[in-house]
Parts: sequence; structure tokens; C-alpha cells
Amino acid sequence: MSIESFLQTLVFGIFVGGIYGIAAMGLALVFGVLKIMNIAHGELLMLGGYVSFWLFTTWGMDPFVSILITIPALFLIGLLLDRVVYRHVVTLQGEEKIKNSMLVSFGLTLVIQNLAQWGFTADERAIQVAYTGTGLSLAGITLPYTRLGSFAVAIVVTLLLHVFLRRTYYGKAILATAEDWESAELVGINIRRVYMMTFALGASLAAIAGTFVTITYGISPSIGIIWTLKALVVVVLAGTGSIVGAFPAGILLGIVEAVSGAFIGSTYREVIGLVIFVLVLILRPQGLFARK
Amino acid sequence: MSDNPIRRVMSSSQPSPRSFRRWLTPLGVILLILFAVIYPQQVDKQNVWNLFFLICLHMTMSQSWNILAGFAGQSSLGHAAFFGIGAFVTRTLWLGGIPFALAFILGGLAAVVFGMLIGAPTFRLRGAYFAIGTLGVAEVLRITVSQNIPFISTMPGPLIASYDLLPRYYLALGLALAATGTAYLLLRSPWSLGILAVREDEEAAQATGVHVLRHKLLALALSSFFAGLAGGVFAFQQISYYPSAPFSPLWTFDALLITFIGGLGTIAGPVIGAIFFILVRQQLAATLVEIHQVVFGIFFIVIVLVFPGGLVEAWKRLRNVRWIKKPSS
Amino acid sequence: MTKFLDIQNINAAYGDIQTLWDVSLHVSEGEIVGLIGPNGAGKTTLMRLIAGLHKPTSGFVQLADTPLHTLPAYEIVEHGVILVPEGRRLFGGMTVLENLELGAYSSRAREERFKTMKRVFELFPILSERQKQHANTMSGGQQQMLAIGRGIMGLPRLLMLDEPSLGLAPLIVENIFEILKLMNDQGVTIFLVEQNARKALELADRAYILEQGRVVGTGLGRELLHNDEVRQAYLGFAPAAGK
Repeated sequence: MSIESFLQTLVFGIFVGGIYGIAAMGLALVFGVLKIMNIAHGELLMLGGYVSFWLFTTWGMDPFVSILITIPALFLIGLLLDRVVYRHVVTLQGEEKIKNSMLVSFGLTLVIQNLAQWGFTADERAIQVAYTGTGLSLAGITLPYTRLGSFAVAIVVTLLLHVFLRRTYYGKAILATAEDWESAELVGINIRRVYMMTFALGASLAAIAGTFVTITYGISPSIGIIWTLKALVVVVLAGTGSIVGAFPAGILLGIVEAVSGAFIGSTYREVIGLVIFVLVLILRPQGLFARK
Repeated sequence: MSDNPIRRVMSSSQPSPRSFRRWLTPLGVILLILFAVIYPQQVDKQNVWNLFFLICLHMTMSQSWNILAGFAGQSSLGHAAFFGIGAFVTRTLWLGGIPFALAFILGGLAAVVFGMLIGAPTFRLRGAYFAIGTLGVAEVLRITVSQNIPFISTMPGPLIASYDLLPRYYLALGLALAATGTAYLLLRSPWSLGILAVREDEEAAQATGVHVLRHKLLALALSSFFAGLAGGVFAFQQISYYPSAPFSPLWTFDALLITFIGGLGTIAGPVIGAIFFILVRQQLAATLVEIHQVVFGIFFIVIVLVFPGGLVEAWKRLRNVRWIKKPSS
Repeated sequence: MTKFLDIQNINAAYGDIQTLWDVSLHVSEGEIVGLIGPNGAGKTTLMRLIAGLHKPTSGFVQLADTPLHTLPAYEIVEHGVILVPEGRRLFGGMTVLENLELGAYSSRAREERFKTMKRVFELFPILSERQKQHANTMSGGQQQMLAIGRGIMGLPRLLMLDEPSLGLAPLIVENIFEILKLMNDQGVTIFLVEQNARKALELADRAYILEQGRVVGTGLGRELLHNDEVRQAYLGFAPAAGK
């Protein structure tokens, strides 16, 4: 394999890793703060993708622009889901809470996936913008605008999230709730409201990732579970307690997949992430980047 | 309703004290079995046989999942791996010339071996991590098979010519009965207390001298065996399919749905759940296509939040309201 | 004096197990009231109940005519009832400054938070020195000061402390109790749970004794200090010969 094609593969791995990272941050946020495992996360990603697809086909809106609409749209859906469904689960404790949240979100997966299938048919859809297929050429490597743009936006979103969580009052309240919800209540934080907002924020992040997926690959109703699992792998790699840390973990996964795909063959590219996932779970459950 | 976990499980299969009602449950079970055996022979219709077949197949999958998740408390999301391995081994050996009966048993045993290999390390994980870990393992299997054996597997001509669904149905029925019977006997065996104790509180069980890992492995062995055999039945029944299909997580999720709808941790649960699920799905799928899954999804959410005991619990509540007016303690 | 914090006939349970039986007590404005008793008596349960982390099965908790027992914890904080919980429960991954800042999260305390923080730094100079330090890297005594400081940030009308002396060296305990006295002099009402009965009774105007979920005694601080039964049970004195 030539240096060029290796670098090309590497760059593509980084780009897709950016999408992994955004998807994973949404899941990590929900898991870290609400302490629930939302299996329907991938479905929210899929919905976000469909919103951008619909905006593009109906009004010709460029997907990078329509993100500004997709975000609040999925934010609202997230609020709704919290109010109707997840609200009843967050009152439980510990393992029962996680178990029930998995079950409930599993039910939601069925509902959302099949509603999407009914609304959009099972066919795969894609977005073809004017610049699809074109890209930047740098030292013999192609950087397609769609992927480059997605990655750039992903970095911006990650930075914004970091600043929001670590530098604003409300963001710190969210982190405090994640760390110790009782203490958070004792300083006057309305944790029910924090749960609701955080869940909605997680949905928004899923939506952003969904837009990237639609631009880069295409979308169909069945991609939900795949992306939930992908996000889960990254979250486990990054370690519980890492929220923004899920982004570099996602890039790492993208790189590992790309590189191993180059050397072991593309048939095992999908598997390598899962194998690492299971190994990390068993051998180092606190994740690769854990502080403890 | 007593909070005693053993009472909770046993009472679903033990007859109530009233003298004439003692015989109701065993009588009902015998009638049901007779019906399942005789009716298909009276009705010479493929779609009826197919329906009954599906019910029995899913019942076995649910009973086997329930042994690990409902009795031992280990909610695995990788159940399809056993189904897939059983199907794979059975199909390969059978189409390779080995007599089906042998291939069938070997399929089940292969699933058990895999289970034991994976069991020891993954049982170190708790709760959600165990669930996603087992899902990860099952997905690794599925993708590996899918990538390495992408070609459809079809029965050779002579076998298709002599294909008869009815004996395949009876095999599925027998397996479903065996799985249900095993679950029933397990709860009456000396291991039942240990297994249920592991479900309720692992640390407490360990502290009182229960060998936690051994009990988990026992439940896993039974669970994987029957799931593997179910895979063998699938391999026997399906004329052609993609080898990775039985590894699909949908088989796990269906078993999960059925067990929950019927009643997790009960013996009647998977039975009632399978019948309910397949019949309703058939009915809805005919009229509403995708919406039937939406309906099940909502139904499932409601059950998890409101009726965690599933249909069995709902039935018991209904019975208590009608017949017994005990003073509440 | 009118009852500021009024607790009447509180019963509480964890599942099927009852933890508090018909507990009634009160704290008047400007007082320091102590709550002593053996381990497992239910003192922490009561504190958490007042703070809103736990709901009673019957009875009520009132702060100057406002019922508290029906409110969620964050709203109770808005009324000025602040609990410094057992074991400090700081936000370990955050700095001293951030912990204090979050202490003023309620809408009541939020605007004044920079002013309040100056006061906290005056009371606890060591916190001022270590503003940027992460809470989980500090010593036990420093953490306790931070926990109390965080409580003060909420502008408490009633400050409740659960075992502030737990695991701390005697000199630091002295220091902390001096500061509590100072705060009380400045007008903060204090309700204090303590394993260290002596220190609690020395500081408190009045105290209650909780055993096995029931109030078994009450009296003035210095009276209880000299009470024979209390001395034997909680202050480490042997029974007098011939009794």
C-alpha cells in the first residue's frame, strides 16, 4: 500500500471519527448526567438525518445550513420524549434505572424506526449537493468538501459544548448534577429540569451527527441500531465520566478502523471496533481515558 | 402480592388452594398440548402450520432467554449468538451428510460450548455493561459470518422435493415443550434457590455461600442449549436463508419482547407471550404493516413502566379481583 | 420565641422499614440546636428529610408557616434551608471557586454570589488561597470548610450541618466550631447533627436526643452536658459507683 493511499485512508478515518465523536458525545451526555442508557439514541440520529434530507429535497436547503433547524427540531423531540417517557425512569435508582431505561428506549426504538419506515419507506436516501464529489486536493490526498465540512462543523460543535459545560453557570450545573445529583439538589439545582434539558441536548447532538451521516453516506430507517452501537463503543472507550472526551475517542476509533481495514481487510473493519469494545469492557471498564 | 421472589415465580405455575381450581392449570396445559398436536393434523393448511411453528420457535427462544434473564437476572442482549451458532452448525453438518438428529444435538452443544467460553469473562460485567457486552459479542459473530459467508444457503433439490412442514412443526413443538418443562423442573430443583438468589442480590447470595458463578453458568448452559437447538430447528425448517440471518439481534429482541409481554421470570410468561405476540403480529401485519411494530413498541413501553409483570401479572390481578375478597394485610 | 423550623409527628420509612417514629422538634430563630444520638438513630435521615431528599410518610415540616415537606429539595433551598450533608459531598472534579459558585445557584442567592464569596473567604482564608484547586485534592478539614462555605453561599436562613466533625483532627474541629459560633452571632440559625456529643452540647443552646428513630430527650445544651444519663451514654463517663 502506498503512503498516499494509507494517508487517504487515515484521513477518511479521522473524518468518520468526527461523526462517531459527535454521536458519542450525545450519548455520553445522557448517560453521564441522567445515568440512563438510551438505546434509541441512534433513532434520534436517524430522525435528524431525515429532517435535513427533507429540508433539502423540499426547499433545497444546504444541509450545513439546515443544521440550524435540525438542532431545535430534535431538541424539541428530546424534550417531548423526556416528558412522556423517560421522566418515569429517572426516578429509579442505580441498576434498576439503567435496566429500565434500556428496555424503555428499546421500545422507543421500535416505535421510531417503524414510524420512519412508514413515513419514508425503507429505501436508502442520499443528499446530492452541488459540491458532492468535489473536494480539496492536498499533497495527493483528496479531502471531499462534504466530509471536510462535516469534520469542521464537528470540531466547532465540540468546542462549543466544552465551553458551555465548563465555563457557563448552567453548564457547570449540568456537570455538577452528573457528579452528585443529591448535592446538586442541595445547592438549589432543579435536577428534573437539568435532566430534561440534557436529554434534549443529547438529542440535538444526535441530530447533528445524523446530518453528517446523511451527507456522507445516505440514510435509511434501519441505521439506528448500528449508530447506537457505534456510539456505545466510543462511550465505553472514552470511559464513563467523559463527555467531551468522547470526541477524541471517536476519532481514535475512526483511525483504528481505517488503519486495520487497510491492513487486515475491509471485512474486519466493522468487527475490530466491536472486539476492542468487548475487550475494554471486560479488561478496563473504566475506559481508556478514565481519570480514576 | 407477596414480595417473596420464589413465591412470585412458583405461584405462576402452582395451583391455587381451592380444591377444584387445583386441577385447572394442569388441565389447561394438557388441553393446550393436545390442541397443539391434533389441530394441525386436522387442518391441512401450510399457513396454519407455519403460524404454529413460529409460535413454538419463539416460545423456545423466550423460555431460554427467560432462564438466564428472568430466573438468574442476567439480561443478555446476545441471545441470537446461540441461535445463530446452533443454526450454523446444524445446517453445515446436516447438508454435509451427517444425519439430522446428530447435527441437531451437536448444534445445541456447540452453542453451549460457546456460551461457556464467553460466559466466564462476560459474567464479570454487571447490569447494563453485561447487556451491551453480550450484544457486542453477538454482533461480532454476525458480522464475521456475514462477511465470510455472504452466499445464501439453500437446501439441495431432493430435500426440497421431499420437504414436509408438519414434522418440522412437531420438532419445534417438542422443543418448546422441552424448554418449558426444563424451566419448570429447574424451579423445582435444588438449584432454584441459588439461581433466584443471584437474581435478587448477587452480593447477598455470595455472602450466604451461594456459588454465584456456578449458578450463572448453569442458567447460561440451559439457556444456550435450547437457543442452539432452536437454531437447529430453524436450519431444518428454512429452505434458504443467509447464514448471518439467524445471528441478527432481532431474534434477541423478539425473545425479549415476548418474555416481557408475557411476564419476566415466570414459566407461563413466554408461553402466553409467544402465542399473543405471533398471533397479534400476524393480525396486524396483514392490515397495518409497519404500524404493528409501533404498536408492540408502545405496548412494551407501557408494560415496562406500568405492568412489569406482563400479561401473567395482569391475569393474576384480574383473577384476584373477581374471586377472592381477602382482607388486605 | 416563635418556632422558626417546626417539625411535627414525622414518620419516615425506607421501603417497609420505618426509620423515624413520631419525631417532633423545633428550632427558633437565632438559636443553635443540636441533635445527638447513637449511630443509626436516624439523625441523617431526618436531616435529609428536612432538606427534601426524602419524603415523610406522615407529619409535617414547616419553616415559619411555610410547609416544606411537600416541596422538592431545590425549592427548599430557595426558602433558605441549606444542608451541609454528611461526608461533605463536594463536586470533586471542580475547583474550590466552582464549588462555591454553585452553592449560590438558587435564584435567591445568585445575584449576591460574588459578595457572599468574599465573606466566605474572610471566614475561611485557606479557601481563598486555594481557589483554583480541585476539591478532591484537598484535605478532610479543608473539604469540610469548603462544604460549609458552599452552604453559606446559599444565604441560609437555617443552616443544617450533618456531622461536620467526622474524621477531622481536634484542632480543625475547634476551628470549625468557632466559625459556626461566629456565624450564629452574625444571625445564622444553626441546626447541627453531631456524633461528637460534647462539642455539640458545648456549642448548642438546646439539643435533642434521637435514639432508634425517636426523640428520647431534650433540654438546654449545658443542662444535658451535666445530665448523668447523657454523660454515661454519650460523653464517655462511667456510671458512678453504687448506682
